Amino acid sequence: MRRFFAVVKREYVQRVRSRMFILMTVLGPVMLSLFGFAPALILSIRAGGPVRIAVVDQTGKLYQGVYDSLMDKAEMSESTPDQMNANVLNKDASERLQEIDDQEEGNFELEEVRPGGRSLNEIKKELDQRVLAKELDGYLILPANLLQDGKPEYFARNTGDLFTRKSLEEALSRAVRQQRLAEANIDARIVQELSEPVQLDTIMKVGATGGVRDSGEGFALVFGASFIMYLTILMYGQMILGAVIEEKETRIAEILFSSVKPFTLMMGKLVGVSLVALSQLAIWGLAFVAFVVFGVGLLAARGLPLHIPNVPLVNFIYFGLFFLLGYFIYSTIYALIGSMVTTAQEGGQLSMPIVLLPLIGFYLFLPISHSPDSSFAFWVSMFPFFSPMTMLVRIVTQTPPLWQIVLSLLLGFGTVALLIWVAARIYRVGMLMAGKKATIPEVMRWVRQE
Amino acid sequence: MTNNLPTVSIDHINKSFGEFTAVSDLSLAVYPGRVFGLLGPNGAGKTTTIRMIVNITAPDSGRIEVFGRQITPELQDRIGYLPEERGLYRKMKVGDQLKFFAALKNINGKEADQRVDRWLARLKLMERKNRKASELSKGMQQKVQFTSAIIHEPDLLILDEPFSGLDPVNVEVLKEIILEQRGAGKTIILSTHQMELAEKICDDICLINRSRKVLQGSIRDVKRGFSRNAVALRLQGGDNVLQDRLLVSKIERHSDGVEVLLAEGASAQALLKQLIEAGAKIERFEIIEPSLNNIFIEKVSEAE
Repeated sequence: MRRFFAVVKREYVQRVRSRMFILMTVLGPVMLSLFGFAPALILSIRAGGPVRIAVVDQTGKLYQGVYDSLMDKAEMSESTPDQMNANVLNKDASERLQEIDDQEEGNFELEEVRPGGRSLNEIKKELDQRVLAKELDGYLILPANLLQDGKPEYFARNTGDLFTRKSLEEALSRAVRQQRLAEANIDARIVQELSEPVQLDTIMKVGATGGVRDSGEGFALVFGASFIMYLTILMYGQMILGAVIEEKETRIAEILFSSVKPFTLMMGKLVGVSLVALSQLAIWGLAFVAFVVFGVGLLAARGLPLHIPNVPLVNFIYFGLFFLLGYFIYSTIYALIGSMVTTAQEGGQLSMPIVLLPLIGFYLFLPISHSPDSSFAFWVSMFPFFSPMTMLVRIVTQTPPLWQIVLSLLLGFGTVALLIWVAARIYRVGMLMAGKKATIPEVMRWVRQE
Repeated sequence: MTNNLPTVSIDHINKSFGEFTAVSDLSLAVYPGRVFGLLGPNGAGKTTTIRMIVNITAPDSGRIEVFGRQITPELQDRIGYLPEERGLYRKMKVGDQLKFFAALKNINGKEADQRVDRWLARLKLMERKNRKASELSKGMQQKVQFTSAIIHEPDLLILDEPFSGLDPVNVEVLKEIILEQRGAGKTIILSTHQMELAEKICDDICLINRSRKVLQGSIRDVKRGFSRNAVALRLQGGDNVLQDRLLVSKIERHSDGVEVLLAEGASAQALLKQLIEAGAKIERFEIIEPSLNNIFIEKVSEAE
């Protein structure tokens, strides 16, 4: 045991003391927030001025409506059903998109082109010229029968501008709808009131103890936990790989093997590096909590309501357990790879496919959240490489019986122990074979060997 | 520790890797207060034998006892091992590394600090204590590695090619330490190719070739068994006589003369007579014991 602790201590102290660790601890959150904000920042960059569009309104009734809805942001509160779905999963993202939409709508310049006795073709020709001369970015033709079943046409230099297209479509739909209603003698204001959208704000979860309020925070937390799990695996997997290869590259292993069993050494390294990872996460976590407490205090001072996630305490324990399981499952795979190769480059190549495994677990989110008690969900949540993500989804959607959770944890940690055992055997034999990369049949033989 | 009980006793061990036989039917005993030389050409099975003694691998059959018992992790604490394949943690400070190795052998805290200082001073590495291993020259790294094997002052010290890559001054330092340990009643197993050094340091030797033991005993006995008249010569002329296979079986030329092994049935007298008759001018003619090097080469080439 003391040998094990000596290995753990060395691994931990050496890494935590390193400049890299200190740098990453400081820069990590900065980089994370960059990843979070950069897409929004980039999307919000508007190159060039407002989009200039000419409208040829052959109905003679719609131009004002289109103009109003494109220029007036106040009326832009309607959400489409698919945006609402997105809200549950990723509120931030859809809000950001909405903001960008809003900016976009403030950036149109409309002009009405009256036919004035000219034929449509003449008007088109003239507008084409203006588009080519870059006086206009595009033009819309609203046919006379648009209010019945006609289709408007949009001509533009850049038809790939999805935001503009979407805004135009929405504005047109709204204008047409209002005009149709007006022609049917229905007051637009009444329509506005009547078509106020509904949001499923309070979702009652049916459990044995009666209805429980659940507004999807559990799900968001699982998503967050899985995301952090994935990031941690990506960041520290390589470190574990390097740690396992280190003794081979420095040829120090044989000195160690006269004092430490390969299994103890491997375990010590895994635990040592994991403690480094957990320390870093803890520092970030505390910083985040401090930030939130500070931020919440600030919000409260401004009289804004606080929002505390409504998640049962036991779920946090499950988060912790399955997070550790996920972390250890994947880091032992990295250790296993490290035991097979002799240089870091080889290890890097071999570990490429691993990055994909947890992604699959990620994508299993949707089918499982639809039917958390299906046999598919059951088996997937028992499979050690996916269970950390999938079992958490089942727990927050429709908590499975305790025995299933325990079984999933046992299978997972059992797999971890098995992987370490196999890795230690490969490590020892591969080590003493000195300097050549192992083939798969060789590795199989090493595992069986005494 | 009495001199009658062997520190290491190996009893008819065998070890093979698939088709390849690394060690076959090897038996030997190593006694305290002596330096035991494990000699043999590359690939003879020396390193495999040593690995079995320190419990890195186990023999397929046969029995190894260390300190009178089958090896256990606790007994490993009394062994110091410097393998041929060795290195240091590149980015770790020398002092920290040594403390880590001491901790693995159950020496911690102040005791470990004191020993690190004592041994670093002994090997003249004190001012490198806070340097990273990667900043040290190869020779210095070698000395740090040696220190890592001896930091816990083991009863059994196993050194695989400890001198390779060292300059003569440092070879002397190591040699001194080894002999000092022997004087303190410790047991030392030394594996090396450098026969001149082995000859000076070892009390007993075992020569292994192609997985088998070919020769064993104290250096005295081995040499006596081989004193089939080796002659050291310094002379001018007489080359034809030395080429005579009936008289001389082997010639080794040095910078200040030649050493020859007499052929079976030939005598030193006959050689001297022939040389004089051939008109050679003889400055030196001495009957000597064969060097370990010559014994080694002869025994190994016999098997070819």
